[in-house]
Amino acid sequence: MVERQSPLEPVLHAGSHGNFEHGVDIILSETQPGSIVQLAAWPGEEKKLISVIRTVTGLALPDGAGGGSTDGARSVFGFAPGKFTVVDEAEGLVSAFAGAVTPAIGTVTDLSHGRTAIRIAGPKAEWVLAKFFAIDFALPAFPVGAGRSTVHHDVFAQIQRTGADQFDIYMFRSFARSFWKALCHASEEVGYEVQ
Amino acid sequence: MLITCPYCGPRDVIEFSYQGDGNRARPQPASQNLDAWNAYVYDRLNPAGDHNEIWQHSGGCRAHLRVVRNTLTHEISSTTFARGDHKSAARHKAEGKS
Amino acid sequence: MSPRRSDAGGRIDRLRTIRFIFDGAPYTGHAGDTLASALLANGVSLFGRSFKYHRPRGVLSAGVEEPNALVTVLRGEVREPNIAATMIEIYDGLTAVSQNRFPSLSWDVGAVNQLGGKVLSAGFYYKTFMGPVFGPLKGTRFWMFCEHFIRRAAGLGRAGTAPDTARYERMNAFCDVLVVGSGPAGLIAAKAATDQGARVILAELEPHFGGSANWSGEVIDDMPAADWAARTAGQLEGHDNVRLLPRTTVWGYYDGNTLAALERVTDHKETPGKGEPRHRYWTIRAKTVVLATGSFERPLVFPGNDRPGVMLAHAAERYANEYGVLPGDRIALFTNNDSAYRAALALKKAGAAIVAVVDVRPELSSEMRELAGEAEAEILSGHAVVATEGGKALSGFKVQRFDMESGALSGDARSIHADCLLMSGGWSPTIHLASQAGARAEWNEALQAFLPPKPTQKWIGAGAFNGHFKTLEAILDGRNAGLSAVGATGTPMAYPSIESLPGDPRPAPVFEIKAAGKSFVDFQHDVTAEDVRLAHREGFISVEHLKRYTTLGMATDQGKNSNIPGLAIMAEALGKPIPEVGTTRFRPPYSAVSIGSLAAERFGDIKPERLTPMHDWHIANGATMYAAGLWYRPMIYGLSGETIEQAYVREAKATRESAGIVDVSTLGKIAMQGPDAAEFLDRVYTNMFSTLAVGKARYGLMLREDGLAFDDGTTWRLGEQDFLMTTTTANAGKVMQHLEYYLDVIWPELKVHVTSVTDEWAGAAIGGPKARAILAACVTGTAVDNATLPFMGIVRGKIAGVPVMICRLSFSGEMAFEVYCGAGYGTHVWEALVEAGKPFGLVTYGLEALGTMRIEKGHVTGAEIDGRTTARDLHLDWMLSRKKPFIGSAMMDREGLIAPDRLELVGLIALDNRPLNGGAHVVEVLDEANPHDSIGHITACCYSPALGKHIALALIKGGKARHGSRAFVSDPLRNRFGPIEIVSNHFYDPDGSRMHG
Repeated sequence: MVERQSPLEPVLHAGSHGNFEHGVDIILSETQPGSIVQLAAWPGEEKKLISVIRTVTGLALPDGAGGGSTDGARSVFGFAPGKFTVVDEAEGLVSAFAGAVTPAIGTVTDLSHGRTAIRIAGPKAEWVLAKFFAIDFALPAFPVGAGRSTVHHDVFAQIQRTGADQFDIYMFRSFARSFWKALCHASEEVGYEVQ
Repeated sequence: MLITCPYCGPRDVIEFSYQGDGNRARPQPASQNLDAWNAYVYDRLNPAGDHNEIWQHSGGCRAHLRVVRNTLTHEISSTTFARGDHKSAARHKAEGKS
Repeated sequence: MSPRRSDAGGRIDRLRTIRFIFDGAPYTGHAGDTLASALLANGVSLFGRSFKYHRPRGVLSAGVEEPNALVTVLRGEVREPNIAATMIEIYDGLTAVSQNRFPSLSWDVGAVNQLGGKVLSAGFYYKTFMGPVFGPLKGTRFWMFCEHFIRRAAGLGRAGTAPDTARYERMNAFCDVLVVGSGPAGLIAAKAATDQGARVILAELEPHFGGSANWSGEVIDDMPAADWAARTAGQLEGHDNVRLLPRTTVWGYYDGNTLAALERVTDHKETPGKGEPRHRYWTIRAKTVVLATGSFERPLVFPGNDRPGVMLAHAAERYANEYGVLPGDRIALFTNNDSAYRAALALKKAGAAIVAVVDVRPELSSEMRELAGEAEAEILSGHAVVATEGGKALSGFKVQRFDMESGALSGDARSIHADCLLMSGGWSPTIHLASQAGARAEWNEALQAFLPPKPTQKWIGAGAFNGHFKTLEAILDGRNAGLSAVGATGTPMAYPSIESLPGDPRPAPVFEIKAAGKSFVDFQHDVTAEDVRLAHREGFISVEHLKRYTTLGMATDQGKNSNIPGLAIMAEALGKPIPEVGTTRFRPPYSAVSIGSLAAERFGDIKPERLTPMHDWHIANGATMYAAGLWYRPMIYGLSGETIEQAYVREAKATRESAGIVDVSTLGKIAMQGPDAAEFLDRVYTNMFSTLAVGKARYGLMLREDGLAFDDGTTWRLGEQDFLMTTTTANAGKVMQHLEYYLDVIWPELKVHVTSVTDEWAGAAIGGPKARAILAACVTGTAVDNATLPFMGIVRGKIAGVPVMICRLSFSGEMAFEVYCGAGYGTHVWEALVEAGKPFGLVTYGLEALGTMRIEKGHVTGAEIDGRTTARDLHLDWMLSRKKPFIGSAMMDREGLIAPDRLELVGLIALDNRPLNGGAHVVEVLDEANPHDSIGHITACCYSPALGKHIALALIKGGKARHGSRAFVSDPLRNRFGPIEIVSNHFYDPDGSRMHG
C-alpha cells in the first residue's frame, strides 16, 4: 500500500526546541489516524446514530453538546447539533459505518485525508492553545473527552481534550503546515519537544 | 461581544458571521409577486432597540442562529437555532450545556 | 550617591547599579527605578520640549498620565517614540533620547515659536491654512504646501523606519472576576474573590502590585503599607485560581464584558527570554469586573505651571517614598486641598526643605496647620501662585493674595525662592473603563469630580474609583466588591488597622488662577486656559467641539490631566455649572497600545496560508508560486531565462499540441449527501440536476437572490443521494455558507448534509490531444475510452496503486480529465501522471497558462462573475431552466437586468499587436487628453498562443451586437491607447470539437 504523505513532513523536526533548557512544557506530535469520519444524523435520529457509534467503536457518548470519549485508539465527540467526528488509529472506519448508518439515520463522510490531527500535550498546553483560540480551555469548562468547534482566523479546528494536559486538534489539511509552524512558534517560550 | 450559541455556549463574536435581518420572509419559491421578492431581498428593518437577526456560528458548529440583539446597548436577550425544530438542538438547549 | 538620592528608603535596590544612556550621556540608577526617577536622581530636570511652543518641560507626574517627559527608546535599529519616562523601568544598556528638539534638548531652535504664541492659538491651522481662493496654491493646496514644514516643527517623537523584529502575541483568557488595579481596594477585592474559589485575574499596569500603598507612607495592620501590599500579593500568588498580571494595562472595555489588555512582558529586560513576546495582547472575558483603577491628581492652572520643576504633589511624594529621590532641595506646594500636606511632610522627612505651602483656601483646619508646622513650612493661606521663574529649571515663583470666591488677586506679588513647586488641584477618579463601557459620568459637587454612575455592564467599582479616597474606605469597598462579584455575602471582617495622616478629601472649587502669562491646561498639546476661552468666544461651546477645536485632551495622554480643568474653565466661560457642560466620553485605548500587539501572529511568516497536497513538488520543480487568497498556486513553471510570458505561452502551446497538467486541488469541493440532495441542487442551481444520472457530472450556475450571477462549477453525482459539488477557488467559503443558510433558515425540512471536502481530495486536470493516451497508460481498473468515459462521465480506477476518481470535463477546451484522489496520495498520483506523460510531451502548467486557455475559450471566472453581471450578460442564459423555480429566478427578469444596453461579455483583439491591460476602458472615440464615454472595460487579457494575438475578455455595452466592429482601449493611467476589434468571447474552437474529441 502506498504511504500517505503528511502535510507536516518538511516542517516536523523531532527533538527539543525553543526555551527547552528550562524544561519542556509542551509536546507536539502528529497522530496520523487511519480514519477520520464525520457522521451526521437527521433531526430526531441522533440517539440511533449514537447507538450505531457505540456498536461500531465501543465508545459510549455522554449526553450533551460537545460530549465525547476516547479509549486511546478510537475517539468520538460531537462538534455540532447531531454531528460527530469519529477517529480510529486504523483505516477502514468509513466502510464499517457505511452499512450501519442507514440513509434513514444520517450520512457518513470520509475525511481521513482532508483533516490533519495534531496533538498538543504538556502542562502548558492550555496556555499555548489560548494564544490561538477564543475558547475556555480550563478543565471544568472543557472536560476530558469533550470536543469543541472553533476557529483561528480562517483556520477551522475541531479540538478534543484527550487528557488533563492533552488536546487533539483536527484541522483542514491545507492549513495544517501553516498552523503547525504557528504552534511551534507559540510554544517556544515554554520549551517544546516534537515527537 | 459574546453570543451564546445554543450548542457551543458563549463564544466571541469573531466566531460568528452576520447573515442579515431575521424578520424577512422569503416568498414561496414559485411566487411571481415582485413586490414581495423586492421586500425580501432589499428591505431591512433598522430598529433602535431589539432587533431579530440571523447569525451563523461560522467559526464553530456552523449552525444559523436567531439572535435578538438590542442595537442601542448590544445586549442579546435571546439566541435560538434558526432551524427551530431541530430536535437535537432542543435537547442540547434544555440541558444548558456549554 | 546621586545628588538627589536619599540615603535610605524606597523600594529601589541600592546595591544594584544600572547603567543607561539618555541623550547620549551615560547615567546610573538602581534596580527598581523608572527612567524618570533615575534622571531626577541624577539632577536632570529638563526632559523634553513641548508640542507647539517647544517650551522646556520636566516631569509632571510619576505614572501613566505623564504628558511631558516623553522619550524615544532605542533598541538596536528599532526606535519607539513617545514613551513616558515615568513608565520605563531602567535596565542595563537602556538607551533613550528626548524628542521634539533641534539640535539639542537644551538649545532648541524651535523655541522661537514661543515668541509667536499669540499666533499659534487655538484653531491656528484652521484659520491660517484655508489658503487663498485663487492661484496655484488655492484652498487645500496651500495647506499641503505648508504641511511639510509644520509637521517638522510641531509634534512628538519620530517613528523609526527599521522593521520591528520583536515578537508580539495574543492571549485569550476567561475568568469569573477581573480586577483592574491593585491598590489596596483592588488587592483586597482580588483576595476576597480568590478566597471564595473564583477564577480571578488581577491586572496592574505598574511593575509592582500595591498602587498607592507603595508610596503612601501609611501603616496597614501594623506594617508599612508597601509590605502589606507585597504580603497580600504574595498570598494571592500561591493560589491556582488566580492569575497575576503585572505591567498589564487594561485598555479597552467592550460589549459582553470583553476587555482588552496589554502586557509588557519584556520591555524591562535587557534581553528577552527565548521565544518570549515583547508584548502580549490579552482578550479577557470576565463574568464580572472590579474596577479599582484609582484616581489622578489634577494640576492647577496658573501662569508658568509647565516650567520644569513644577510637579504634581503626590508624584513628588512618590519619588521620595518609593524611589528615594527628591525632586528638589527647596520645595514649595500650591494646593486647593488637604492631600498636599501629606506630600509636604513626606518630602520633609526625606530631607528636603519645605519653604511654603500656598493654599487657595482662606481657612485651614488645625490638623493641616499642624502638618505644615511639622514640615517647618510657611503657610500662605488665601494665596495663589501667579508666576513661576527660571529657565530650564525652576528658580522661584510669585504669590499674591487670592480671593477664592471671586478669583481676584490683590496685594503685592511676593517672590519665593524654590527649585521645585508641587501642585495639587484635587483628585479625579479614573473612570475611563466605566465610561468606555457605556456609563455617563456623574458630577459630585463635594469632591469636585466626576464619579462613575450605575454600571451598564457587569462591573463593580471599588476604592478611589468610587471617590473613596481614604485607604480604610478603599479596603472595605474592595472587599465588598470582591465578594459581590462572586455573589457571596461575606462574614463581617475585622477592620484593618490603618495609620494615616488626617485630611479632608474635598477640595476647594478652584481650578485656575487668572494672571498674565501662559497657563497650561493640556501640557502635551500646549493648550492654554486662554485657548479654551478663545474657543468659547468663537462659538465652540459644546464640550465635544471644544475638544476638537483646541485639541484639548487629544494627545497621547488622552486628557488624563487636562480633562476636568479644561471643562471647569469652559463652564466658567459659559456661566454654567460643570455638570451642565458635561464631559466627553472616554474611548479605547486607555493608554497607548503597540501596533505590533494588535497585529501579533497575523503578520509575517506565521500568518495562515493554504497549501495543496502537491505544493512541495511544485516548488521542487521550478514553480513560481502565486498567492490566490490564502492559497498558494503555481503561476508558471519557468525554465531558466524565461520571462513569465514566455513560460505561460510555452505551457499553453504545449498543452494544446500534446498535453498539460495543472493542480486543481484548490477548487472548492462540497459533499452534498441525503435523500433531498438532488431536489436541493435543483433549487440552488439555475439548471436541472435531479435528472443527472449517477456517474455523470454537469456544469451548474448559481444566482444570488437578486438574480445576479453568483458562482459556477461542475457537480458530480456519485450516488443516488451523494453529490460532489465543485466551486471556484475564490468562492468556496461563500458557496458553503450560502448552502448552509438555505438548509438551516429557508428549507430546514430538506434532508441534506453539506460538508467541505476541499481538502479531502487532491485534484489534477490533465488536458490536450494526448491526455487520454496518457491516462490509458497509467490508469488501471477501468477503461478511459470514449464509450466508458464520455464527456462529463465519471469512472473509478487506480493510478500507481491509489484509488482515483476521473471525470472527463474541460476548462482548457481540450480533451481533458480531472483526476481526484485522497489528498495524502496527491503527490504520488501526480508524479505517476507526470511520469506517464513524459513520452507524450506532457507539460506542467500554472495559473497563467490556465488563464490564457480559458480566455481563448471565453469561459467566465470571478473577473466576469463580479456581482454585477447576469447570466444573460455572460451568455449563460441557456442554463436558466424554465421548468422550475430556483434561487434568483424570480428577480432575474427585472427590467434593469434585461435592458439592451447592459454590459455583455465579448472578446477583444488588439489591432496594434500590443498587450492589453485588465481594467482598461473601451471607447468608441479616442480622446487621450480627456478620456470619456466608456462603453465598457477589460476583465482579463493575455497573449494568445493559439491565435498569435493579444486578446482580452471584456464587458461591453450592447455586447453581441458589436461583434465585428472596431473601438479603442483607453487606459490613461498606464498610457495605453489603441485600436481593437470586438469579437465573440469564443476565440478558439467555438464549436468545442477538440474537447468532445
